[in-house]
Amino acid sequence: MNSDLARTLEALLFLSSDSLSVEELAEATGAGDEEIAEALVELEQAFAPGQRGLLLREVAGGYTLASDPLAEDAARALLGRTRHGALTPAQLETLAIVAYLQPVSRPEIARIRGVNAESPVATLLDRSLISESGRSEFGAVLYATTSLFLKVFDLRSLEDLPDPAQWDATDEEAGELRDRLLAAGEHRSGATVE
Amino acid sequence: MLVAELEFDLDVFSGPFDLLLTLVLREEVDLRELSLAEVVIGYIDHLEARGELDLEATTEFIVLIAALLELKSRLLLPGEEIDELLELEPDEAAEELLARMLEARRYRAAATYLGQLITLAPAVRYREAPLPPELRRADLDDAPPGIWDAASLGKAIAGLLVRPPQLDLSHVLVARVSVAERIAHLRQMLRQAVELSFDDAVSGADRMTVAVTVFALLELYKRGELSWDQAEPFGEITVRAMKRPAAGARA
Repeated sequence: MNSDLARTLEALLFLSSDSLSVEELAEATGAGDEEIAEALVELEQAFAPGQRGLLLREVAGGYTLASDPLAEDAARALLGRTRHGALTPAQLETLAIVAYLQPVSRPEIARIRGVNAESPVATLLDRSLISESGRSEFGAVLYATTSLFLKVFDLRSLEDLPDPAQWDATDEEAGELRDRLLAAGEHRSGATVE
Repeated sequence: MLVAELEFDLDVFSGPFDLLLTLVLREEVDLRELSLAEVVIGYIDHLEARGELDLEATTEFIVLIAALLELKSRLLLPGEEIDELLELEPDEAAEELLARMLEARRYRAAATYLGQLITLAPAVRYREAPLPPELRRADLDDAPPGIWDAASLGKAIAGLLVRPPQLDLSHVLVARVSVAERIAHLRQMLRQAVELSFDDAVSGADRMTVAVTVFALLELYKRGELSWDQAEPFGEITVRAMKRPAAGARA
């Protein structure tokens, strides 16, 4: 038998479609943060994998209940659709830029990608993975990721995203790229002189 | 004669028009140094020399010169990204391009990572239904009917529709006296006496009435009904009826 507070939190998590932070749970129940943390530990044990059809998950800045992957096939059969459709490379690239540089404007996304970002931005907005987040000083709409983004990518917060510098080209690779560019440039200027 | 065969003798080019076009398009003649006005003047000279207007050839020329003008204006006006790159030295352009490629590469890799993340994320589902209404702190969608009285809207607009009270203008002098009235007044007095003093005519009247009476005097003088004398400035004005009243004067 769990404590009254743990059972109350379970009820709140059942009712809410958004992740609930410790602060929100504390405010709703009138309990202190520490009591909430203890009750959450209780719930984590109660909802440990294999115990129930639901899991207690920490995602998108709070706690939420989720279906056990065990039930995924049955859930798909019941609800008739997959959890989320695949994202195209263009959408993923756009999403990556928004995730790391948010809030960021569409012209900036286009500048980095070197191609117009209108279509992927529209799709990501449509799928609620990004949302408008104010305006830049030049009046362009700025975009930021949503809590659904964190849920879909199973992130507790944006800080869970790894440092993108790890994917940067090494000096050697960059040097090689530079040489190839210069060679191509010479080839081109040579061609126009003929 | 075809436009293409027209000979031009310009600062930067001398020869037929079609060769000029070819050289411009191959960037061997710099369009920025080519005076298009000179080309147009050359063509007009040619038209004058011919003495007749070949509509088809002229149309062709206008189309070509318009295209050249557009091309030239694009070259002259900075701002397009391509032009920015063209203005850079090859080394600088390569560095700029390299920086962009490296930046793009970073986020392309991040995109690959996110793509993996999405497949690695556990196959869990979250509640998607919104919070039940009774749990929401406040939501107008679920407000019980009639919590606001529709009449309050009426009241709100009624305040705007009320006619504002008439302003009290009693302190403002309003011209209530007309020249016609004063003319009638003067005629009335002149019927009783052939001669009268202006002061008598306006005794007890306010300044506006005095002023309007002067206009009435002028009007009646114009019509030949009266005349007046004033011995000295600010002195008494004596008004006299003329012997012959104007025809059609009203009683």
